Amino acid sequence: MSSPGAPAPTALKHLASVVRSKNAGPLCLTVDVFFSDRIAYERAVVSYGLSANAIAVLYGVQAGQVRRFDLPEIMAIKLAMPRTLCAGDPGDGDVYGAQQHAPMLEVLL
Amino acid sequence: MRAVERLLSRHKPGAERLRVLSATGQLGYGIATESFERGLDRHPHVIGCDMGSIDPGPYYLGSGQMAAPQAMVRRDLERVLCAARALDVPLIIGSAGTAGAGPHLQATLALLHEVAQAHKLPLRVATVSSDLQPDQVVEAMQNGRLHALDESTPGPGLPDAQVVRSCSHIVAQCGSHTFMQALRLNPDVLIAGRSCDTAIFAALPMMLGYDPGLALHMAKIIECTSLCCEPGGRDAMLAELGAQDFVLESMNPALRATPASVAAHALYEQADPWQVDEPEGTLDLRQARYEALDERRTRVSGARFSPRPSPTLKVEGAARVGARAVLIAGVADPGLIAMLPQALREVDQRAHQLLPGAWQMVPHIYGQGAVRPLPAAQRSAHEVGLVLEFLAPEMELARTAAAVFKQNLLHFGYPGRLSTGGNLAFAFTPSECEAHESYRFVLYHLLKGVDPNQVFLVGAQDWS
Repeated sequence: MSSPGAPAPTALKHLASVVRSKNAGPLCLTVDVFFSDRIAYERAVVSYGLSANAIAVLYGVQAGQVRRFDLPEIMAIKLAMPRTLCAGDPGDGDVYGAQQHAPMLEVLL
Repeated sequence: MRAVERLLSRHKPGAERLRVLSATGQLGYGIATESFERGLDRHPHVIGCDMGSIDPGPYYLGSGQMAAPQAMVRRDLERVLCAARALDVPLIIGSAGTAGAGPHLQATLALLHEVAQAHKLPLRVATVSSDLQPDQVVEAMQNGRLHALDESTPGPGLPDAQVVRSCSHIVAQCGSHTFMQALRLNPDVLIAGRSCDTAIFAALPMMLGYDPGLALHMAKIIECTSLCCEPGGRDAMLAELGAQDFVLESMNPALRATPASVAAHALYEQADPWQVDEPEGTLDLRQARYEALDERRTRVSGARFSPRPSPTLKVEGAARVGARAVLIAGVADPGLIAMLPQALREVDQRAHQLLPGAWQMVPHIYGQGAVRPLPAAQRSAHEVGLVLEFLAPEMELARTAAAVFKQNLLHFGYPGRLSTGGNLAFAFTPSECEAHESYRFVLYHLLKGVDPNQVFLVGAQDWS
């Protein structure tokens, strides 16, 4: 139960203005989340759902492998993590890493 | 007088800003004509184009093929070459032919030569060859000079020597240092093999004495042309570089370079938003400032460059996995969908009994987690798409495996089956297709403590 005055849990897709993923080289996946208002950004920064540990669980990588960068000037959060398969290896389903943002959309803040 | 010499002798930093036009971030997919011409109207001092990337995957490096269609590459080369010669300014192209290995550089040069001949343009063309021989890499590995990209997190370590020797092509990304050496040969056009995107746009300003931090930050942004704008686009981008800052402006009037859109671009395809590693040092963006000059232009300042004592080169190598055939089919029967992974395993066993040999099937089950793992509750129960890859040493075996697998899956009798007419829906026949060769990256590492002059070959040729 949320405490009085605290906003109800809301999915990231309703709070963010951009949620995108892309390779940073074939071994690394990055996820960028942008917000268009300060309140939503501040809420995201302190949320458990966007903590490095929660993101590691969400993406099935080891705890400690997710790096998070907060960029308050542009109200953005950046996440970087190793890809589970090198881009283009047999079995890889997303060579560019451009559709790996999907699980972020439903993260509750 | 050649174009580089003309610029170096006439441009005086401080007297006027250096106008750098980025024509395209992906030469060969069609440079937008109107915005490029608007850029030419601003009389740029140099025109640059990025032509390559590692993004499209290991096939291009491994095979030596270009990703962009040849006819479009020729078209784009024609646009930029004719424009550069009409203005008599240097044209600089990096990561020739997508992956920037020998065959890519040669194919790009051949197309440029065709264009130059067709338009009767005499040229001096400088080239940088970025290829490494497998033995060079093995030796570096044995001497402890090859390193994993990020040694702080567990990941792929070093490959063994045999795997390195199996690479069909290995390249290193050359930096501004190597571009400057090629520019000292005083060309009209510089075409480099695999390059850092930044070197294309930063080397000439640095030769002219502009601040390396500003030049590299400018280069990092404009190599993607108007992607840093709101809304993003592929149109030509102009940077006007001064002693203290640079000003960004898209050559498409509908696109606005705003402080927020430009700052946001620093995140794109970067693991670390504040630090960009270059062969010769590190670009630090922590102090970068973005200010609106007006609605469409942003002024950028503050980036700092720290050189490192000896250069670090990024090395890329790809090796052949095998020939690839692909089977494409749909499944709509809920009973089969529910047990699809098991059905594929059983059919795989049968097919291997029928067709021995070193082939393997790699499944992509769309609707069931082909793009990324899906929780059971989110998997499609009413329709899934199958893309099954068959990899084998030769195409004949890959194609045969696909055909045998297809027929056995089509008539696979799974428990509880009601539909005895066939298990697969084909959108077309033949539903098994030859899908090129399969390659994989075996090198994406750092080479430390090497002399770039020992790696990159710089040369020039005069075309009459």
